Amino acid sequence: METGKLGALREQLPPRTVSCNGYAPEEKPPPPPPAPSRPLEKPRYSQGTSSQCLDSWKEERTRSEEDNEMNLPSLAAAYTTILRSLGEDPERQGLLRTPWRAATAMQFFTKGYQETISDVLNDAIFDEDHDEMVIVKDIDMFSLCEHHLVPFVGKVHIGYLPNKQVLGLSKLARIVEIYSRRLQVQERLTKQIAVAITEALRPTGVGVVIEATHMCMVMRGVQKMNSKTVTSTMLGVFREDAKTREEFLTLIRS
Amino acid sequence: MACQAAGEEPPRPCCNGYSELPSAEVRRALAQYRPEKRSREAAAEGGELPALEDAYLSILEGLGENPARQGLRLTPRRAAKAMQFLTKGYQETIEDILNDAVFDEDHDEMVIVKDIDMFSLCEHHLVPFFGKVVIHLRKYFLLLFFPRIVEIFSRRLQVQERLTRQIALAITEALKPAGVAVIIEASHMCMVMRGVQKMNSRTITSTMLGVLREDPKTREEFLTLIKN
Repeated sequence: METGKLGALREQLPPRTVSCNGYAPEEKPPPPPPAPSRPLEKPRYSQGTSSQCLDSWKEERTRSEEDNEMNLPSLAAAYTTILRSLGEDPERQGLLRTPWRAATAMQFFTKGYQETISDVLNDAIFDEDHDEMVIVKDIDMFSLCEHHLVPFVGKVHIGYLPNKQVLGLSKLARIVEIYSRRLQVQERLTKQIAVAITEALRPTGVGVVIEATHMCMVMRGVQKMNSKTVTSTMLGVFREDAKTREEFLTLIRS
Repeated sequence: MACQAAGEEPPRPCCNGYSELPSAEVRRALAQYRPEKRSREAAAEGGELPALEDAYLSILEGLGENPARQGLRLTPRRAAKAMQFLTKGYQETIEDILNDAVFDEDHDEMVIVKDIDMFSLCEHHLVPFFGKVVIHLRKYFLLLFFPRIVEIFSRRLQVQERLTRQIALAITEALKPAGVAVIIEASHMCMVMRGVQKMNSRTITSTMLGVLREDPKTREEFLTLIKN
């Protein structure tokens, strides 16, 4: 029965145009890390042979702590070049350690590449006989636009209808962190969160709404201060049943 | 430059008013709005763009991403151009925008321009900070230039305290008003997105010069007006 429901959920997903980190299937995934920091673990929620897209939530890490340490000098050198190219003096007091700080900050902003869903969910899936909507809203989200490397910030609202299993509430926020702390596109981020919850819990339905302000539109380009971008992904009964969707959207607005 | 005319070696490069300079030189340094001619022209011609693009390409690789994938293919160029835009204040000077826009009006009361949106880059982490600027002046001045003055100094690698002071000193040097006050309230992404991660924190800095510094009643009137 669960497989059937999962199959139904899979059919409802939009055609596979992006995978794992948002790479289109025909594009090359990033090279594997040179030295894994932990031995590879058996994924906890293995589904056997699932499609490449739907395995996104249990993808292997592309980066480790050792990678971060190894790459820090080259990142810092790149930032020194940037400072010089902008006409600044990297030797002045205020900028002396900036390349290292900026490199470390950028690694923090993309720490989602070091984490996988299976790391985070652990034992936080519980059997509960609860079949009403569960909503966690106003989750602060900070991400980096992959087109301009400029932040976009906003709030994520997640709702799901459990099917005999519920997730620890903070894990929803952790899922948001993993996918948002990457170079992202808001549409892809929304879908990745929804797919991750679907794969982990196999709920009756999932809805994710993200409302964000893009600094690349506010600070540069069209410079529209008050514009917000809203994206949503509705899966399962949230997609099929208008009343469920309406209940979710009403509750997150209140 | 003024410091060269005074026979001193210019600070290196002196357009940002570095805090390690002594106070008299701070004022002179802050008055020197022209960056080195070469870097200004080169940046204007886009001469530094390839170096910036290469730097961003190596950043993408260093972060473990695949720069060849569709979404990132043109990102080095876009990010380089975005960074140039966000630091375009280095290419602009007060003289560029003044252009005889100072008028002698018999107006002795306060002029306050508030809620000027400000976007800048923290020079320590290269992460945006943004907020609102309030400028008070006791002299008539074409109001639309206040946002432009804010733009010149905010579109640089900045520290909020220095930004506030630079705006105030620039207005003082250019217009010589009876008093100037600048208040900036901003949110720092380096505190919100990383580090302490305090979402709702705001930083407020102010610089009061002239009669606003000396006369408490004038200062109180100004602060009351902006509270509303």
